Formats: sequence, structure tokens, C-alpha cells
Amino acid sequence: MRLRKYLVGKALWYVGALIVALVLNFLLPRLVPGNPVDAIVAQLGRSGAQAEQLKRIHEHYVAEFGLNQPMWAQFFTYVGNLLHFDLGTSFAQSPAKVGDLIAEALPWTLGLQLPAILIGWLVGNGLGALAAFKGGWFDRGAFLSSLFLSSMPYYCLAIILLYLFAVALRMLPPGGGYEPGLMPDWSLLFATDVLRHYWLPFFSLVIIFIGGQAVGMRSMAIYELNSDYVNYGRGLGLPDKRIVRYIFRNAMLPQVTGLALSIGTLVGGALITEIVFSYPGIGSLLFSAISQNDYPVIQAITLIIAIAVLASNFLVEIAYGFVDPRIRAARAGER
Amino acid sequence: MSERIVKRNATSDVLTTTDSLLRATGLTAAYTVDGGEVVAVDDVSIDMRRGEVLGVAGESGCGKSTLGAVLSLTLRPPLFVRSGELEVDGRRLDLGPHQKPPRSWRGEVVSLLPQGAMNSLSPTVRIRDFAYDVIRAHQSGVRRDDAIERTRQRLEHLDLPRRVLDYYPHQLSGGMKQRVVTVISTLLNPRLLIADEPTSALDVSSQRVLIEMLKEMLSEEIIGGVIFITHDLPVLNIVADRIAIMYAGQIAEVGTARDIINQPRHPYSAALLSSVLVPEPAMRRTRVQGIPGAPPSLMHPPGGCRFHPRCGLVMDVCRDQAPPKVGDERRFASCWWAEQNPGQNPSQNPSRAREV
Repeated sequence: MRLRKYLVGKALWYVGALIVALVLNFLLPRLVPGNPVDAIVAQLGRSGAQAEQLKRIHEHYVAEFGLNQPMWAQFFTYVGNLLHFDLGTSFAQSPAKVGDLIAEALPWTLGLQLPAILIGWLVGNGLGALAAFKGGWFDRGAFLSSLFLSSMPYYCLAIILLYLFAVALRMLPPGGGYEPGLMPDWSLLFATDVLRHYWLPFFSLVIIFIGGQAVGMRSMAIYELNSDYVNYGRGLGLPDKRIVRYIFRNAMLPQVTGLALSIGTLVGGALITEIVFSYPGIGSLLFSAISQNDYPVIQAITLIIAIAVLASNFLVEIAYGFVDPRIRAARAGER
Repeated sequence: MSERIVKRNATSDVLTTTDSLLRATGLTAAYTVDGGEVVAVDDVSIDMRRGEVLGVAGESGCGKSTLGAVLSLTLRPPLFVRSGELEVDGRRLDLGPHQKPPRSWRGEVVSLLPQGAMNSLSPTVRIRDFAYDVIRAHQSGVRRDDAIERTRQRLEHLDLPRRVLDYYPHQLSGGMKQRVVTVISTLLNPRLLIADEPTSALDVSSQRVLIEMLKEMLSEEIIGGVIFITHDLPVLNIVADRIAIMYAGQIAEVGTARDIINQPRHPYSAALLSSVLVPEPAMRRTRVQGIPGAPPSLMHPPGGCRFHPRCGLVMDVCRDQAPPKVGDERRFASCWWAEQNPGQNPSQNPSRAREV
């Protein structure tokens, strides 16, 4: 009973956070100096349109996008549309719907990030636990290289890999999701081409992620290795693999948070990687939207990021209870 | 000296098969530290009979917990065994820096009952799952239900509630946790239980319950014998059949509990005993005496007898020659004074009173 009360309370808290995020989503892009219509009109002006004409176009767009209305009226239109799952129309790529633009970009980002995070998490934690357990030279080598990698900004590695494999060695294509001439379909040719374009951005993400996870897991596991239950388990003749499993379960708690948070920030997490490799994902979309003051697209993407972060945090809190009985007990109000 | 002991063992091998439980010879263990070694257990030999409780007492840092780790085969770096030989219930094991003790010994032949059972259980494992893990570590292929059922029977036999099986460690009280840990340590009927300060974190009534539980398991031969390591001499007086007093990594004196407490022969034993408060009317007028000085650094132990800088009965010979063992394996004191004054109690010696 108290568990349900706890869950309802937490859920309400997250709904509140979402509302705050919504307001900020709406407000922040509009605080950026400049106006999306100006950008569009300036572009038209370069193509040689008359001043009178430009002014009319300007007014037309301002009315069309609803920018002549007061801020609060715009906000309620935005929220009203959201309730119908309508993310609006892009300003810069009008009349393309924002929902379609995102649906086109999201699979690229998910396909790039989700495997990178999951594989990086598993390999990184395995490596960290193994390094802690084995010690010696293996530990030193794994720890130092992990520390080096995890403290390097991920776009640095992206640029290094890009230079090495695409520019110097010319083994892999320097950017894009697929060759410009190809049409996306489900053929083998297209799949292999996508894979060729996939390796560089994938590895630039996964290597950094492995490093960060391994460093965290190693120090947690070393702490657990010195605990009484490890010594006692040895004294009772438990096999090493059983003791490592105990250690892993206890050391994993903070790592689970790390995993959930990375999945939460996945959508916007690889923004610079996508830009470096001109990968056709959410990051590239967001980047061009920001440079064009494309409010609806910015709003939609930041909203997705906010929802993903909040949802993953909520899931972590629930997952914690399953991993650690002490937290479960504290929640249910037991001793 | 170790050579002499080995020879004596060779001649009394017949004893081993009858009532000898533990025969440990020449145990030496050292910590490797920057620039050298600290020998924490120095050529210690122990004899125990079946059904006995041997108390090991001494000040902090005297090596008693290290001795427990050597005997329970749970040494961890930077602590290493240099040499030694164990014989438990007829099974022999050579110890050395490169020997890896067999996993099957731990928990089944020798078992550890750890100090402060507070963190000895993994917080995310239920008692029943831990018990199952312990049993299947030694009996591969045992069915989970059978293992848990056996644990349940053992708990009920020792008057512990069966519901603790479903608990996580944080749901148990301190005393209950120590009792549950004791049950788990003895699940596989180990021949020798090494109890390292099991009562130190408990209140007196929990201490008594635990000691009664150990005695019950001894009388039913669930365990063959107990080495009870503690700094708490009054507890040893209740629980131990024999007591070994350790000082600076060596055994200063061994004997029956009554002998050690009433008739100590080593000045250190006498001093240790006189520093204990005894709530008896006859003791009211006796001054509690501490031991002057502090235990020596094991990095640079004093030459000769290691206790000589603090001893009230120190003689010239003590300063540069290691003391002889006066007595036999089951009752001896390593002391020059004891050799020259056979059968005397150092605390009643007038020269000591003058010194202090």
C-alpha cells in the first residue's frame, strides 16, 4: 500500500518536472536574438526579390507561424497542439511537419547510440570488474587506458578516428549515413553501405563510453573486494565466480544509474559526433534548427530529450528497488 | 626450534589418529610492506584435541587475527604464509608462499566465524540463497530445495526461527546476525571452527547465547573444535578449555584455562590477567595493574625475549637469547624466568612487586 503511495508521489513529482521543462522548452528558443522569419526573408532577399514583396512575405510568414500573437497565446497553442500529438510545422523547412522530420532522423540516432551505450556499458563494466579482481599489470593497463579515454572529449576521438581512417588511410567513408547516390531501401547493398558509414561514429562513441564505465566499475569493485563478505565467502570456500557475482551485484547499483541516464540523454548525447560525421540523426537536425531559429523543431527535440531523461530517471528509481532490498524496504516503510 | 617440534610430531604420529584434532607446526606468516616484511605470526605451533575450545588471547597487534587467517586459509595479500604445516583430523596440508590451499578445505575442514558479523553477509543476497551457495560450493549438483531444507533443519535444531531464511541481512538484529552467521559457518560440519572475535560486538546476553550455541554444536559433534580468538579474557574464562597467550607474533604461554588464569607462569600472562577488572569481593583490595609500555613494532622486534623491555622480571639472559619452551606442547611457557623458577606464579614474586 505504501509502495503504491510512494510510486504515485514520485510520478506526480515527475509530471511537475515535465511541466517546468515544457515552459522552458517554449521560452528558451524565443529568447535567442533574431527571428526565424528574418532568416527566411534574408535568404529570399539574396535571390533578388523586391523590398515591397519581401515585406509582404515577411508579414505572411509572421501571421502563418503565429508570431504576431502575444507570447502566452502562442504558448497555449503550443500546448494545445501537443495534446493532439501535433509538434507543429517547421519554419525553415516549411511546410514539412516537425513530426516527420524527427521520425526520419530518430532511427539514425537510436541505431547509432543504443548499441554503443549497451555494448559500452556491458564491456566497460566487465572490464572494470575484471581489472579490480585480477589486479597487477592487467589492472594497471586497463585502468590507465580507461582513464585516458574517459577523460578525452568524445568529439576529439571522433576527429582523430575521422582523420586516421577516412582521410589518411581512406579505409572508411568520412561522413553521412549512406552514399549520396543510394536510395534507402531494405537491400543488402544499402545495408552494407550503411554499415560502412556506421563504424567510425559508432567506435568514437563506444570507446569513450567503455572507458568511463570501466573506471567507475573498477573503483566500486575494489571497494567491494575489501568488504567482509568477500573474505567470509572465501573462508567458506565459495568459488571465485560466485564471489565476483556478489561483488558485481553490489557494485552495480551506481552503474545502473549511469546506464539509465545515458539512455535518457541518448537523443541529444551524440550531437557533436553526428555533426562531425554529418550523420543524418537528431543531432544534425537540432544543430541546423538552432542555426535557423526553427522554434518548433528545437522545441520538439528538447521536449523529447526532457521526456527521455525524466522517464529513465523514474525507471532507475524503480529498478533500484529490485536490485537493492534495503531501498525497497525503506520505500515500503519497513525496517 | 621448529626442527625440534617436527621431530616430536614424527614420534607421536599415533596420537593423531586417536584424539588429536589439530596439529599445526611452524606457522609463519608475514605482511610484505615497502622495503621488507613484517612477520606477524612467527613459528607458531598449536596442538588441539577433539572437542576442545582453544582460546587465543593477546593485545591488539599481537598476531592473533593473523593466526586465525592462517588457520582458516583466508590470507589475503599483502599477507603471505612463509611456511607451516597443518594437520586437521588426519588430513595434512603444507602451507607455503606458492601453495594454493584447496578450496574444498575452507568451510568443510576449517571454517571461519568472522569478526563483527555486521558486514559479513552481502547486503543483496537472502540468507537462504547464501546458504545454498555455501552448500553447493562443496556438493556440486545439490538441489536448491534440499540445501535450503537442510539449513532450515539446522536453524530449528539450534532454536533459531526459520523465517530468517527469507530475510536479507539488514533485516536481522546484531545478535541474530551473528547467530545466523555461526549457523552458516558450521553448515558443512567443519572439523575446526576459527572464531575471530565473534562476541566482541555483542551485548552480554547475546554473548552468552552464542557461547551456548557453540558448546551445543561441540557436544553434538557438529564441529570438532573451536579456536576462539578474543581480547576478552573473562569471555575466554567461560568458553575456553585451554588458552594460548600470544605476544608479538609468538605464543608466550599455553595451558588449560584454569592453569593460565590461576597459575600463569609467563610474566606477560600474569600482567595481562592483572589488568582485568574482576567483580569479586576478594579482588576489591587488589590494585588493577596495567602493563607498562606498548607492544613492540613487529617490523623491528626486540632481540632475545620479545617481552623483555616491558617485563618486571627481566634478567640479563632475556635481552639477547630467545627463551626456551618450558613444559610440553600442551602446557608451556616461553620464558627464562619460568625455567629458573619452575611452578611459580610471576605475579606473586616479590621482585616484581618491587619493580612496579
